[in-house]
Amino acid sequence: MLRNSFTKWLWDNRRSVLGWAAALAGVGGMYAAFWPSIDNPEMREALENYPEAVLKALNFDEIATAAGYLNASVYGLVVGLLIIVYATSAGTRIIAGDEGSGTLDLVLAHPVSRSRLAMERFSALLVSLVLISVALLLVMLALTGPARLEGISLGDLAAMHLHLFLFAALFGSVAFAVGAATGRRGAAIGTAAGVAVFGFAANGILSGIEGLGWIEDFSPFQWLNGGSPLANGVQAAHVSIMTALIFVLTSVGVWGFSRRDIGV
Amino acid sequence: MEGANPVVARRPGRLAGRRKGTRLTETAIRTEGLVKDYGRVRGLDGLDLEVRTGEVYGFLGPNGAGKTTTIRILFDLIRPNAGSVMVLGLDPRTDGIELRRRIGYLADDFVVDGRQTPRELLTYLANLRGGISPVVIDELAQRLDLDLTRRIGALSRGNRQKVGVVQAFMHQPELFILDEPTSGLDPFLQQEFSVMVRQAVSEGRTVFMSSHVMGEVQRVADRVGIIRGGRLTTVEGVHQLRDRAQRRIEIVFKGKVTAEEFSAIPGVSDVQVDGKVLTCRLDGSADALVKTLARHEVVILNAEEPDLEELFFDYYDRGGSR
Repeated sequence: MLRNSFTKWLWDNRRSVLGWAAALAGVGGMYAAFWPSIDNPEMREALENYPEAVLKALNFDEIATAAGYLNASVYGLVVGLLIIVYATSAGTRIIAGDEGSGTLDLVLAHPVSRSRLAMERFSALLVSLVLISVALLLVMLALTGPARLEGISLGDLAAMHLHLFLFAALFGSVAFAVGAATGRRGAAIGTAAGVAVFGFAANGILSGIEGLGWIEDFSPFQWLNGGSPLANGVQAAHVSIMTALIFVLTSVGVWGFSRRDIGV
Repeated sequence: MEGANPVVARRPGRLAGRRKGTRLTETAIRTEGLVKDYGRVRGLDGLDLEVRTGEVYGFLGPNGAGKTTTIRILFDLIRPNAGSVMVLGLDPRTDGIELRRRIGYLADDFVVDGRQTPRELLTYLANLRGGISPVVIDELAQRLDLDLTRRIGALSRGNRQKVGVVQAFMHQPELFILDEPTSGLDPFLQQEFSVMVRQAVSEGRTVFMSSHVMGEVQRVADRVGIIRGGRLTTVEGVHQLRDRAQRRIEIVFKGKVTAEEFSAIPGVSDVQVDGKVLTCRLDGSADALVKTLARHEVVILNAEEPDLEELFFDYYDRGGSR
């Protein structure tokens, strides 16, 4: 596990990765398990009494189906937000965190190029996100029967987790890119948090404002579960946008990192 | 590039122990007109540095003089605004990977993620260098009395620094670049470190070490460069420095003497007489003083080893008054 910077990163972060995988799978599974208690006439009636704008702002407008419920409460909310926290903190640590704690100099005094180091570590972050997404996927699969999620096919569930992985990787690459290009931990976390807040608002409350409906197309949360991958499978446009952004952000981060002075 | 080399040829003692196959360049480190600005603050202001292959070069200066800035440029961690750098005949900017393969680096405070053991860290760092036999790492650890199995976070500062010493030496580099290496080491380790440095030099390796304390380098250095305000103010051999240094002399006479008789002697200053005891400072040759002493009966003659620290501060002061 100590062969290169890719495996070293996974080894160093093994506890964190396993902990986050367990936490996300646990919380996601718990919310999914509530579905049978929500899927009843009284609950539906209660929800119908809310103004449509409120339901839209909370992303509860399609809560009457299992897919809609999971979109609103699991992927679009608790799991989505938690995985942003993990991806942002891990993406920040790759360069800016290491630099801030004064431990980057030692590795860079070795015969490795900066771009290679950054790419190996970022690849390791992607692998950790795959592990976390798959852990949640396995829990959801296990709950299909007990939580009465039968309406969701295996393919659609897998599609949803592909979107979730790319969504997390996008926030990871924002934090990585800003951190690598500037060396500033605060800037990396702040930018990713800003994107998250904007994205969350744009997908909910802002898009409900008259004339601002288009804004949700620019929200990562829309790319996560807009068009409902849980019901309709992979959304090619959203997958393409996220993949392209990850590629561009990572390239910019590596380029900036290779050109600048390393902080003391 | 191998074999005959004008600089090494002038230093036959060094050549004897040189390992076969070690690549040679005349100068290990050369910088010309190196300038580095940090925003509006100038870190280096035209630094010209020349470190010869096979020598121990002490790079001395007060904190903030530009020592660490220079070292970080040699590793391409930061880039100069102007000037040129060659290390082992290579440009750190363009041939950094090949260059860093051949350098060992140790910083004053060896900080790494404390959750790993020294063995984990050293194995990883060895792999970054293409792999190093665990036997070499074990031997170095044993020599320094370092436990490779305890988490680094649980180690004392001195023990952490030992991990740094091992990683700097384990690949037997041609050039060591050491930034205040022995601050934080206990006396035993300082001693052992000096031995390791001397051994490396006897094998033809080059050592460039920075310090803000003269004593740290005077034991091992051949030449000393003093940096101040981002420029090199003085370069001199340690022996020349020592020869020129002031010594404090104490003489006990059989009978009474007067201060006047000694104050006039060239090189002698700060004469104080207390009955039969005379103390003074001697600058340069002792000849005139000895010839004057010959007229008296001397009971005890005590000359302190020159304090290079004082000389060092003398340079600082001169640099400041310019």
